Amino acid sequence: MQRYILADMNNSFLDNWATQLRKGMLELCILNAIRGTSLYGYDIVRKLRSIDGLVIGEGTIYPILSRLKREGFVQTSIAESKEGPPRKYYELTAKGQATLSKMNDYWQAIKTGTDVLKGEQTS
Amino acid sequence: MIKLSDSAREYLDRYLQQIRTYLRGCKTVDADEVERNIIEHIDSELEGATAAVSLEQLDAVLKRLGSPRQWIPEEELPWWRKMIFRLRTGPEDWRLAYISFGLLIAGFVILPSFIVLIAASFIVARAALSEAGDPSELKAQKWLIYPSLIIVYSFVLFWLLAWPAFVFTAAAYEWEHNFRSSTYLQFADDLCYWTVATSFIIAGLGFWWMILGGLLLRWRSFLQVLFKPFAAWFSRKWALILLLIGLGIMIPSLGLGICYGIYGQITVL
Repeated sequence: MQRYILADMNNSFLDNWATQLRKGMLELCILNAIRGTSLYGYDIVRKLRSIDGLVIGEGTIYPILSRLKREGFVQTSIAESKEGPPRKYYELTAKGQATLSKMNDYWQAIKTGTDVLKGEQTS
Repeated sequence: MIKLSDSAREYLDRYLQQIRTYLRGCKTVDADEVERNIIEHIDSELEGATAAVSLEQLDAVLKRLGSPRQWIPEEELPWWRKMIFRLRTGPEDWRLAYISFGLLIAGFVILPSFIVLIAASFIVARAALSEAGDPSELKAQKWLIYPSLIIVYSFVLFWLLAWPAFVFTAAAYEWEHNFRSSTYLQFADDLCYWTVATSFIIAGLGFWWMILGGLLLRWRSFLQVLFKPFAAWFSRKWALILLLIGLGIMIPSLGLGICYGIYGQITVL
């Protein structure tokens, strides 16, 4: 159903709206993906791939990771890999955890509000 | 690093070059780090390939990564990249605004072509103004459009108001050198001649302002279109004020010139 809705977005208004929505959501999803764990960049991409319509160009995730690192929300560490060369792992900093908590609260409030509005329309 | 075929290697080099190009100057992102991450991503995607990776295999991975052009939001780009981006892909009005500003800057840099480039910048700025429709919709574009408009409008306004002063001064010089000695009016000295001539030049200027005020009383929209968008405030009241100022300048100047001539130094032969 969700796949069908997104595939139907050939309208420029919807395209633009979806792009705007994705911009903010990607940061939230990346931070949530590494909450409580540390992940290699490619693993983050694979995790986010599973959310339909979220990642249009997978490369988009890397500049966001770089920006989050510059802003002190995530930190990196190099760890040896069995499969090949050492890999860079991303994890949340204390600042990142605090910010993510606020972002999740904010998103939840919007989602709840939207659901209430949808409920009012259908009831 | 995985083994790539020659064509795939070339293709990857071009892609990495694109990354460097598009991320260059973006202060929020470490371009080198992103490039390293992308290489690692490609390695991970193609891990396990037994033979050299073909162009088709690499292309599938790069397609999923997408164009580096789309990775950075426009607001995070440095100003010069935003300018190029808007010139290439932006809406027509923004393109025109940037072209206008670019021509203006070029006009100041390439001084021998100053007039041509400023004129071109002005025409493009007017086109951008027409494209916007309502000037209040211009928002930030006005910083790109207004400089060339102000330069050209200042020049046009100056000549529109002052041209009689130059024409009459040139005529007075011409008359002094070619006809002064052969007419019936003889002036005591050069000072006398130029005092009378200046009075008449100023009176001529006042006369023109009076005519201009009268014309604008009837056709003020001409001025509003000519100096769009800066003359929207110009009403009949201002046309009347111009007419009265012209009258106020013309009468005393004409009177002064005549009186000085009669009671002063002019001798009628």
